[in-house]
Amino acid sequence: MTSIANETQSAKKERKPITVVSVLTNKWFLYAVSLTFFFGLWDYVAYKKILGSSLARPLEVLDYMGYMINHRLAGNSLWGHAWASTRRILIGFSIASLIAVPLGLMMALNKYVNAIVKPIFDLMKPMPPIAWISISILWFGIGEPSKVFIIIIGTFVPCLLNAYNGVRLVEPELYDVVRVLGGSRRDEILQVCFPAAFPAIFAGLQISLSVAWTCVLAAELVSARSGLGYVIIKGMNLGRPAMVLGGMVAIALAALLTSQLVGFLEKVLCPWKREIEGL
Amino acid sequence: MSFEEVKVTKEPLMVILPIISIIAFFGIWQSLLSFGVVPSSLLASPLQVLKLFIAKWTQVNPDGALLTTHMWTSIQEAFTGYILALLVGIPLGLAMGWFPIVEGLARPIFELIRPIPPIAWIPLTIFWFGIGIPGKVFIIWIAGIVPCVINSYVGVKMTNPVLIQMARTYGASSWQIFTKICIPSALPMVFGALQIALAYCWTNLVGAELLAADNGLGFMITMGRRLAMPDMVLLGMAMVGLTGAVIGVVIDAVEKRLLAGIRR
Repeated sequence: MTSIANETQSAKKERKPITVVSVLTNKWFLYAVSLTFFFGLWDYVAYKKILGSSLARPLEVLDYMGYMINHRLAGNSLWGHAWASTRRILIGFSIASLIAVPLGLMMALNKYVNAIVKPIFDLMKPMPPIAWISISILWFGIGEPSKVFIIIIGTFVPCLLNAYNGVRLVEPELYDVVRVLGGSRRDEILQVCFPAAFPAIFAGLQISLSVAWTCVLAAELVSARSGLGYVIIKGMNLGRPAMVLGGMVAIALAALLTSQLVGFLEKVLCPWKREIEGL
Repeated sequence: MSFEEVKVTKEPLMVILPIISIIAFFGIWQSLLSFGVVPSSLLASPLQVLKLFIAKWTQVNPDGALLTTHMWTSIQEAFTGYILALLVGIPLGLAMGWFPIVEGLARPIFELIRPIPPIAWIPLTIFWFGIGIPGKVFIIWIAGIVPCVINSYVGVKMTNPVLIQMARTYGASSWQIFTKICIPSALPMVFGALQIALAYCWTNLVGAELLAADNGLGFMITMGRRLAMPDMVLLGMAMVGLTGAVIGVVIDAVEKRLLAGIRR
């Protein structure tokens, strides 16, 4: 009876007796089982060489990451490569968001801007950013600018789309309120539009960031002398699975770190987000 | 009661502006090359791209396959990976949303794999599968499975708790609640995943083909770069965009048909 009626009030905690079933269905227990199984299987497959020598054991990967931190590969330690990738992303990402977000806001607020920009944007939108790699190498060579260009292209689309939709999906009642209170068009934009569109803009930035990682890796896989993409492609060419996997782990960590950073920025810059979500 | 049809006449300027914008875009592009502002080794004019597009229907050279062959290879790879991703990802996500055991077991592994961009798997897949179709399907599968799992999971989690409690009150079993209430109410989210997953798959297909392929649209773009033929690069890009857009429209139509009765 309690389980039905109190479902929504489960915050009322009562100490339950520890039974076999409650241990077996405990979240943390299951997490532990799952991770043990995952790493166990990985280790077993690598140890028994079921996939040939193309998989490194988890501890070998860790070892190799330590090795890469202390030894330079093409002039950079692992930190250097991670920073090379991250720097490209930060540069491209900032340029793209500084152009795309205002443009998206303008498109949503002004129908003439919308009528001019939207068709061209729609034309470019379905083209995956990775398809631009070849043309950007033709234009900028294989140096830094071509990678930044790819990232700008890739991050531009989600930034602009989310800023645009964020403003368009603002609840019309909010405008009505401002108008009733005698607000001008300027008040409408500054007091309603921007604050209400902010969470959507930040969601766009998060999407952009994951696209940016895909782009920078693709660009580095095709041609680079530094960066985490270079590490894994080098590992492939040298036939060292530990290097490839170590690079992948570093990529995952770096990607996680940058997205946490944007999440943190969002919390600082836009503390009203939760209230809007609750509406 | 009769309804009066409201006629919305668009301002003529709003109709003309998009057309002008498109024409200006292609016009500037064409004139950049016609007047030699940009050397033809860097960019091909729209007309050149169009010419190559027509030629590639019948001409195998210089990249070794017809345009249709490239497209067919790409579509085949993308769809195999996409469908496999749907088949695994959606049931997994739904089950993760409802059964705590499945969530407890699958979630940590999923969270470990999720932050790695699918492109980063390319070197490993080349170790494992070589450069043939299976490797690319694997990359696309990884790319597609993430949005499928997340959306179906969130879809189930967002089920209205009142409905679940009502079903419990009437004595429905856990399995019945899952199949009769949670899955239908998650459907709109699941269909949202179809579009997102497709976009991911298509992006990563190009990435996989750029690196290791002997066929396909991504390969065509790479060949264009290696042969220093900007028109071929641009044709490849245009075809990738066009095919992706067409598939997106088709999925949108299917989604509308299937979800006709569900209010969103």
